[in-house]
Amino acid sequence: MGLTEIHLENFTVFQKLNLKISPGINVFVGANGTGKTHLMKVAYAACDITKSNQGFAEKLIRVFLPSGRSLGRLVKRHKTSARCSVEILREKLKLRASFSNHSTVAESATVTGIKDWNNHQIESVYIPVKEMLSNAPGFRSLYAQREIHFEEIYADILDRAYKPALRGKVDKTRRKLLTILQKTIDGKVTTDKKEEFFLRNKQGNLEFSLLAEGMRKLGLLWLLIQNGTLLEGSVLFWDEPESNLNPKLYGSLMEILLELQRIGVQIFLATHDYAILKELDLRKRDSDQIVFHSFYRDKNTQEIACRPANNYADIDPNTIAEAFADLYDREVKRNIEGIAR
Amino acid sequence: MTIFTEGNLQIAIPDGVSARKFDEPATHGLTHCMKAVDFIVELNDRFIFIEFKDPADPQSIQEKKEEFIQRFQDGKIDEDLKYKYRDSFLYEWASGRINKPIFYFVLIAIEALDDAQLLARTHALRKKLPQTGPASGQWQRPIVNGCAVFNLKAWNETFPNYPVKRIKTT
Repeated sequence: MGLTEIHLENFTVFQKLNLKISPGINVFVGANGTGKTHLMKVAYAACDITKSNQGFAEKLIRVFLPSGRSLGRLVKRHKTSARCSVEILREKLKLRASFSNHSTVAESATVTGIKDWNNHQIESVYIPVKEMLSNAPGFRSLYAQREIHFEEIYADILDRAYKPALRGKVDKTRRKLLTILQKTIDGKVTTDKKEEFFLRNKQGNLEFSLLAEGMRKLGLLWLLIQNGTLLEGSVLFWDEPESNLNPKLYGSLMEILLELQRIGVQIFLATHDYAILKELDLRKRDSDQIVFHSFYRDKNTQEIACRPANNYADIDPNTIAEAFADLYDREVKRNIEGIAR
Repeated sequence: MTIFTEGNLQIAIPDGVSARKFDEPATHGLTHCMKAVDFIVELNDRFIFIEFKDPADPQSIQEKKEEFIQRFQDGKIDEDLKYKYRDSFLYEWASGRINKPIFYFVLIAIEALDDAQLLARTHALRKKLPQTGPASGQWQRPIVNGCAVFNLKAWNETFPNYPVKRIKTT
């Protein structure tokens, strides 16, 4: 059972947000600073604690890394005392945390529903914008032993990537996805005893640090499918999948995400890329479940709001399309200058 | 105002502007061996070559629509647009009429073509014509001074004095 709703009040950039979530693919679009990544991190924290058994507030501190690791800094800025709340729902299961802007430690948060919540584990993975596999050797042990200033999503993604391959026969859909990825990256991903990642093919082993960044990301996806992290019932969060990837590869990537959704993986994407959105729009079937959530700053209240759409054409506002409209207008203008319209 | 039609589309040309239907076998006389743009408009300082493509015409049969989509995806429509321009240019050049800059505007009446795609189609057309000569810079003059691809909405917003509409909408 995946996530069904998210309710935030006074949390980071959000004054009030009530979001209904698709069990399939949720695409977050909007200008910079409209809270897309924050939302994904909140939802990821809620999923991750079901497996890691960390406290919810503690996990929020670790994935957001507020200054001084002070929980209260996640409350939307107010001149006076204020309290925030975070509610994540999986149908009837509700996980709730609330805390004030004076809270400094995780223990000062009031968390409810965590026992039932954690009784139903969810496998989840958060792929951050920055690629991590090439920095992997030694990172995990360093992160475990020292207070280094890295959001926990970076350590978590390595934990997922290092998981050994799933036992037993690989089912047909997963084999198909792995084959598509192997063709694209021209090999399979392997690790050595020093926790270094390599791309293995007929030519030998190529260390990840010598591989193009976009290919490293696809290699990571291959690992997550191969080791069974992304199976039915799991949740994938991917922040800007387009980063470092040539647009020619978006089609295969979106096809893989659509297939994962078809086998029951819930997916969250945050993107600024027209071609990513259009690939999803052109490739989706009627039975696919995709919701585009458009985040924007409301002109009247100046607060962040969100409007859902089931199709690319209905995304409103669509800052990506607006940018293209502006370019197109100027392109046409350059060509028609001097013509009495 | 003069009305010209091409298939199920019509364009209104304001009074005082010289325009002719160019792709007309009887007057062109060479359509068996040369391609032709649909209309040529002459303004004081330039010629405008205009080509209409109307694959979403509700009057046309399904097979014709599918054939267009296939040709569109295969890049054959781009090729067609290129040769229509070049052949029309040659025809006009041989007629001794090329004495001012030429602009080429293409209307593809598919509303699903959004601004990003129109921008990409415009760039692709410019490269194909091509608008700029070889890197050596030996061309003394361009063969086309500007080009752009429009859908119906973009056309009518850009050229309110040259409105285009569908004659039959069903």
